[in-house]
Amino acid sequence: MNFDFSLIISSIPQLLEGLGLTLQLWFISGILGLLLAIALMLMRISGKWFLYAPAMIYIYIFRGTPILVQLFIIYHGLPQVEFIRESFLWVVLREPFGCGILALTLNTGAYVSEILRGGVNGVPKGLGEAGAALGLSKVQRFIYITTPLAVRLAIPAYSNDVISLMKSTALVSTITLLDMMGIARIIVSETYAPYEIFISLMIIYLVITWGTQKAFALFERRMSRHIIQ
Amino acid sequence: MNLANTEPRTVISLQNVDKYFGEFHALKKINLTVAKGERIVICGPSGSGKSTLIRCINRLEQHNSGNIIVDGHELTDQVKDIDAVRREVGMVFQNFNLFPHLTIVENLMLAPRLVRKTARDEARKHAMKLLERVRIPEQADKYPSQLSGGQQQRVAIARALCMNPAIMLFDEPTSALDPEMINEVLEVMTDLAKEGMTMICVTHEMGFARSVADTVVFMDAGEIVERNTPEEFFNNPQQQRTQTFLKQILSH
Amino acid sequence: MESLTGWWDDFFWGSLIVVEVFLVSLVLMVLFGLLGSAAKLSNSKILQKIANGYTIIFRGTPEILVLLLFYFGSAITLTAIANIFDPSIKFIDINPFWAGSIAIGLVVGSYATETFRGAFLGVDPGQIEAARALGISNFKTFVYIRIPAMWRLALPPFGNHMLSLIKDTALISVIGLQETMFVAEQATANTGEPFVMYLMVGVIYLSFSTIITLSVMGFEKYGNKHLEVGK
Repeated sequence: MNFDFSLIISSIPQLLEGLGLTLQLWFISGILGLLLAIALMLMRISGKWFLYAPAMIYIYIFRGTPILVQLFIIYHGLPQVEFIRESFLWVVLREPFGCGILALTLNTGAYVSEILRGGVNGVPKGLGEAGAALGLSKVQRFIYITTPLAVRLAIPAYSNDVISLMKSTALVSTITLLDMMGIARIIVSETYAPYEIFISLMIIYLVITWGTQKAFALFERRMSRHIIQ
Repeated sequence: MNLANTEPRTVISLQNVDKYFGEFHALKKINLTVAKGERIVICGPSGSGKSTLIRCINRLEQHNSGNIIVDGHELTDQVKDIDAVRREVGMVFQNFNLFPHLTIVENLMLAPRLVRKTARDEARKHAMKLLERVRIPEQADKYPSQLSGGQQQRVAIARALCMNPAIMLFDEPTSALDPEMINEVLEVMTDLAKEGMTMICVTHEMGFARSVADTVVFMDAGEIVERNTPEEFFNNPQQQRTQTFLKQILSH
Repeated sequence: MESLTGWWDDFFWGSLIVVEVFLVSLVLMVLFGLLGSAAKLSNSKILQKIANGYTIIFRGTPEILVLLLFYFGSAITLTAIANIFDPSIKFIDINPFWAGSIAIGLVVGSYATETFRGAFLGVDPGQIEAARALGISNFKTFVYIRIPAMWRLALPPFGNHMLSLIKDTALISVIGLQETMFVAEQATANTGEPFVMYLMVGVIYLSFSTIITLSVMGFEKYGNKHLEVGK
């Protein structure tokens, strides 16, 4: 067994051909997941049982099962259900890409909604009361007082989840998609050089993780201008 | 000069107000009227219901039975009325509750801009005037975390004044302050009282009560035990519970 | 549902393998987490660097990549080593159970490293000083003051790490471990009913997650008994 350094260098460009797909999966499901998370969080804090009960059940199920299982139910399972094949959803579910986006979105939405709720709950109650005492409406208090403070509180946990989502995109290689992970698996099966190829891929993922952390740290600092001391 | 005597219009009235927190009976059949310009100090041991009482007046707490009428509005579940009442009633909290993500002047501008749709320049001008009134215009563009406790509380008073309220509620405004900062806050409150503001103030500052209040109310266990002028209250307390309380609080 | 007939046994044995992987990887996760946090808190620059490298690498790369690297990597490494002694050996097959357990133990252990480190630092130094002032020895302070205080801080994130472990076991089917995902795949091939089969897997995992969540809640309640406000 010999470790081939040149293979690390030469495989990186090949692996990067899958970067576009990885980034697409990450960004699209990240944005859709955030929207879903906001909706779920608002349902959770609405105080109305017919809103928060479904949201809680949803979050419980999607956080309680492996994302790989969710992906397989969507990719292998749902096409078996006739009414889905006949519905508009089929446009999405016909393609593995759509299945990947759907699974990642549904999964990250559940996690992020809890993070957002933590942020909202972390805002001291007295600040909302101070807003109320000034005659601000409930909606105004939520937009101008709770939200900016909750966002600041939620950033560290949210950045972890964004990185988690990026790592989860690698799972789409199990449903025939050729993201970076998928390409790596093909190269390994051809060259049988798992160390070189997988380590190259690790380096790429680590660079993305590092960049993401830096970007969020910058954003957090910007959002924390008011905490100077 | 007691404005209440020259213009005896009732601005707040509570009739048979009850408030429960679960099983706990926090307010028991409270009756209280406040005339325009009257300065009331409410004191009593902790857990006696004094904070709950003033929090009911702007409906941060909802009473369970009885009537509360503030400036002609009965407090009910009608949301519109509540926000209208809250604009007429300013409140100062024990923990200041300044919005940490806004600068001092932005703290003061927020409500006028959102609720009254005041233009930015005008709101700022008004805010600066109020900051001068509480003697810290130079801190306008700092964030609350950069100010001392006493300064923060003065800002909080200015913020409560920014909607030009007819009534001011103070919920233990000096309890969270270091001793050397208490006076600067009390001075601002005394100024307000001199200008004829209707004030209800929950506090243990008996010096303030003696010199500023028209009426002192003593509460214990959710009831109003005694209500009197400061002279009578301090020199000649009628109730046993009042005497005990005064002995404890004045002994140190 | 009738398509599940005949597959119950397989799902049961599959679930048992999930439990086994979970328990093995749990031990490894605690071990790696403790070693990692001890290294990070040590005075040795080298140990700190190694621990930092460990957490950066394993928190920054996808679990499935770590798993595949471990599985295929260790296979060729072991084959190469075996070839030194016996060149006739073509290939050593690695047991996916061990490759999988070690891989997810390492990954989640990197998260546990931060948890343990945070819990260590989170203990109020005043408590330690108070113990010192009372003349309690360093060791006893560690056992009776620091560990219980740490435990309370670490338990909620530790519960999340356990949930990560149990869910990550599903990945090991990718390298051929015959756990529930693998069973579902075979059952699908036989019955043509993927929806029911994978839903079944989902139900199994949801049950495991529920058991873990409830246990952690129980422990938390027990651990925080003294913090309850008396009536």
